[in-house]
Amino acid sequence: MDAVVSGIVLAGLYALVGQGLVLTFVTTRTLNFASGELLAVGGFLALGVGSWSWLPTPGKLAVVVLVGGVLGAVVHRWLVLPFARGEHDSRWLLSTVGVSYVLLNLFTNGEGANPQRVELTRNPGTVELLGVGVNRQSLVIAVIAVVVTLALVAASRWTSGGVVMRAVAEDPRTVALMGISPRLVGAVAYAGATALAALAGVLWASEVGATPGLGVHVLVSAFAVAVIGGLTSFWGPLVGAVVFGVVVQVSAYELGALWGQVAGLVLVIVVLVLRPEGLVGRRVEAKL
Amino acid sequence: MSTTVPSSSLLDRVRRGEAGRDLGYLVVLLAAAAWIALPALSGDGTTLAGTQTTAVVVAVAVAAAGLNLLSGHARLISLGQGAFFAIGAYVSAYLAVDSSLHPVLAIVVAIVVTAAFGGLLALCTMRLRGPAFAMVTLVVAILTERVLAEWAPLGRLSGYPNTLDHGSGLMPPIEVFGTSLEPPLFAGTEATVVVAILVVAVVALVGYRNVARSAWGRSLHAIGTSEHLAAHLGVNVFGRKVAVMALASAYGALGGVFYAQVFAHLQPESFTMLLSITMILAVILGGAGTVAGPLVGAVIIVLLQRTDALTPLVDLQRQVSDTWYLSTPGLIGVLLVLTLAFLPQGIVGGLGELVHRFAGRGAGPAAVVSTPATTPASTPASTPATTSEVTQVDADDVLLAVRGVSKSFGGIQAVRSAELVVRRGTIHAVIGPNGAGKTTVANLVTGVYGIDGGEITFDGRRIDGRRTHAIVRSGVARTFQTPLLFTHASAMENVLAGFPDTGRLPLVRAWVKDPGQYRRTRELNARAAELLALVGLGEDGHVEAGSLPYGKQRALEIARALASDPRLLILDEPAAGLNTAETAELGRLMLTLREQGLVMVVVEHHMDLVTQVSDEVTCMESGAVLAHGTAAEVLAEPAVVEAYLGVEMEETA
Repeated sequence: MDAVVSGIVLAGLYALVGQGLVLTFVTTRTLNFASGELLAVGGFLALGVGSWSWLPTPGKLAVVVLVGGVLGAVVHRWLVLPFARGEHDSRWLLSTVGVSYVLLNLFTNGEGANPQRVELTRNPGTVELLGVGVNRQSLVIAVIAVVVTLALVAASRWTSGGVVMRAVAEDPRTVALMGISPRLVGAVAYAGATALAALAGVLWASEVGATPGLGVHVLVSAFAVAVIGGLTSFWGPLVGAVVFGVVVQVSAYELGALWGQVAGLVLVIVVLVLRPEGLVGRRVEAKL
Repeated sequence: MSTTVPSSSLLDRVRRGEAGRDLGYLVVLLAAAAWIALPALSGDGTTLAGTQTTAVVVAVAVAAAGLNLLSGHARLISLGQGAFFAIGAYVSAYLAVDSSLHPVLAIVVAIVVTAAFGGLLALCTMRLRGPAFAMVTLVVAILTERVLAEWAPLGRLSGYPNTLDHGSGLMPPIEVFGTSLEPPLFAGTEATVVVAILVVAVVALVGYRNVARSAWGRSLHAIGTSEHLAAHLGVNVFGRKVAVMALASAYGALGGVFYAQVFAHLQPESFTMLLSITMILAVILGGAGTVAGPLVGAVIIVLLQRTDALTPLVDLQRQVSDTWYLSTPGLIGVLLVLTLAFLPQGIVGGLGELVHRFAGRGAGPAAVVSTPATTPASTPASTPATTSEVTQVDADDVLLAVRGVSKSFGGIQAVRSAELVVRRGTIHAVIGPNGAGKTTVANLVTGVYGIDGGEITFDGRRIDGRRTHAIVRSGVARTFQTPLLFTHASAMENVLAGFPDTGRLPLVRAWVKDPGQYRRTRELNARAAELLALVGLGEDGHVEAGSLPYGKQRALEIARALASDPRLLILDEPAAGLNTAETAELGRLMLTLREQGLVMVVVEHHMDLVTQVSDEVTCMESGAVLAHGTAAEVLAEPAVVEAYLGVEMEETA
């Protein structure tokens, strides 16, 4: 029971980052393999703005999220758009991997590999939940993940934005003819996704400290979560994260932390065999 | 006098050309191997570091070569080749040290196990398109890194083997035929293992090149271009993707085995995610999809990483800022992005293009036989006039029957109880306005989608529910609404891809390249030249397909479809974009092919062409059949005229 509850709560972090992956995939059919390092950048930004005593905490948080958004738009403009010309061009995948190494290396040289304490959004201690002591910070992240998911689902269902997002992915040319810029939609999606990653970075760094490698394992888990849930649905990351979190935590509890991670991979593979489109992804037979 | 060479000796020259190139490659590899081996065998202490570096180059080159087949040819981007390298290294070491298996047997088992793991992973992930495969390989790479660093039996950060668990930090050298294969670690000892590594590496790299240049390699290229196309060339796309992943994993494992033998000790730090990135960068930088690319790339990347070549660059940055600068991993990342931006074809691919541009047409590949004026229409299409003489009587008269077939996509009914009966010896035109479901019917016949209801028979056998490659192998070929060609390959290469070998050549035969393969290459080259001549491209064999004018691209697609020797050819709007002269030429070609017994279904808007060639016409509208009969009958039908021209009822009133 302990493992189940803590698994569900831990899943929030992966869901938050996974949501960013879905956001860009739904709109542009690409995703950012440097999300993990951008998450770490969020952690270091929090460290940087932490000393601005004139700005209240929400303002500091807004600065980090905003900078994250700008970085996302930059990544889209300079590392994704030029490398995604047409359906068969998947250079974007490698260009974002390349930049992830640049960031990782830059921050390792500049800041060192040791964790640095981040105070910006610290919520120390535990809360009692279903009779289990739950890490307060993880709970905050999980709540945010649920709120973000609900917001995205609502936006995609009840606003024109949702239609635009899906339409851009299906047929960018026609959308362009209707006066909507697919580039702009892509840039906004990347900005949103990276803002989410930066937010996750601040929250997670406040818990475990800022390190250059902060995002590597988070991204791997977020990938797993996105594949399990399905890359085409905003419910995907949340559903995937809960399943993934529980499986990983329960196996870690039984077999040790290392094999918990391996069990997560096995879960990904099992889902791919049984439901390649993910647990809640839509299976669409595309007309060629 | 000597110009009147009989065609057989001309073909001999071609064969010698191919064998000559194969020999040339082998000589280059052997020369490189000798250059590496000589200092290693001196046993001189000053050569140790250099020998280790060159041995790592060899190990990475072998792994990158395998990765190139997967990511360069078939365009399935793997971020986990380093993991397979690591698995090969650790499994071979573990089996030899802990399970005390004979080290040679341990190596073989390690390679088989790694290939099986890769194949299994592919089996689970290859149904997906998009980035999921890359994501899963990344997850595998990161987890492998973690297992190596944290799992006690593999020595964790003490490495494997280690003094604490095994009494020694080094694997004992392999003993074969009374010789001990010593690693390049001690001054005064001849590094004999390097020789063994080089011999195996040369064999592996020859096999790699054989595969890359064979019909099997062509099928990978087809998958990389379009899986839709590959299936229509008779390739079992899913099976082949699994096979190439297993092959790439085996090459990765072999590289890892070399690494283990060179250092006789494994540290988890050597097998991080960066290793996988290094390998994919070697492929891209050298030239993805070229034979020599990954080898060139591996040499450059490993030398950059293991020598101090990048030091000046780092020092330069540190003069500006001593804290914010990039060292080797970051610079590798920069190099990756720059390569993608400015040299996407890689060094070898880019050089190849330059040579092609400056050398012009003359230096085309020797495969392009200047068609030795053999009678062009002598051998084509299997069944000669006999079938066309048996007309209109038999019940066996029907070659293709689509009966009551329906198909919907989501909520849209694209085809509703369609009927299409194609008799032997005929050309059957399918006409109808845009969106009538004509191309969808073609796609249903070749098994691109499953049908919702009804049945499809070909030559009396049910083919609905069978997969595209199986239907194609039973004798159906087709062209596409917009030509699907290998735009960067020669016209000749495009036709060669059409032969059944693309789907059927077993991997082992492609790898070994037995003498029969040379004979087969000669046959196919000659036959491809005939087909090119037949469709009016006799002079264009060496021209890049993408630079051919549109009409010739259409003709090229037909030549490729004919290469499979089909009984039924489906042409999807073959006259679209053709000028009047080209359309007339196409009509003549179709009539010629009909005389040779080929049955054709032609989806077409061009009424001139339809009336010129078709024996029967079926008109579709909104997914249903509107009219059927001879061209004159169908075109006289008021409903057909209305469907096309939208005649209002008031006119008839």
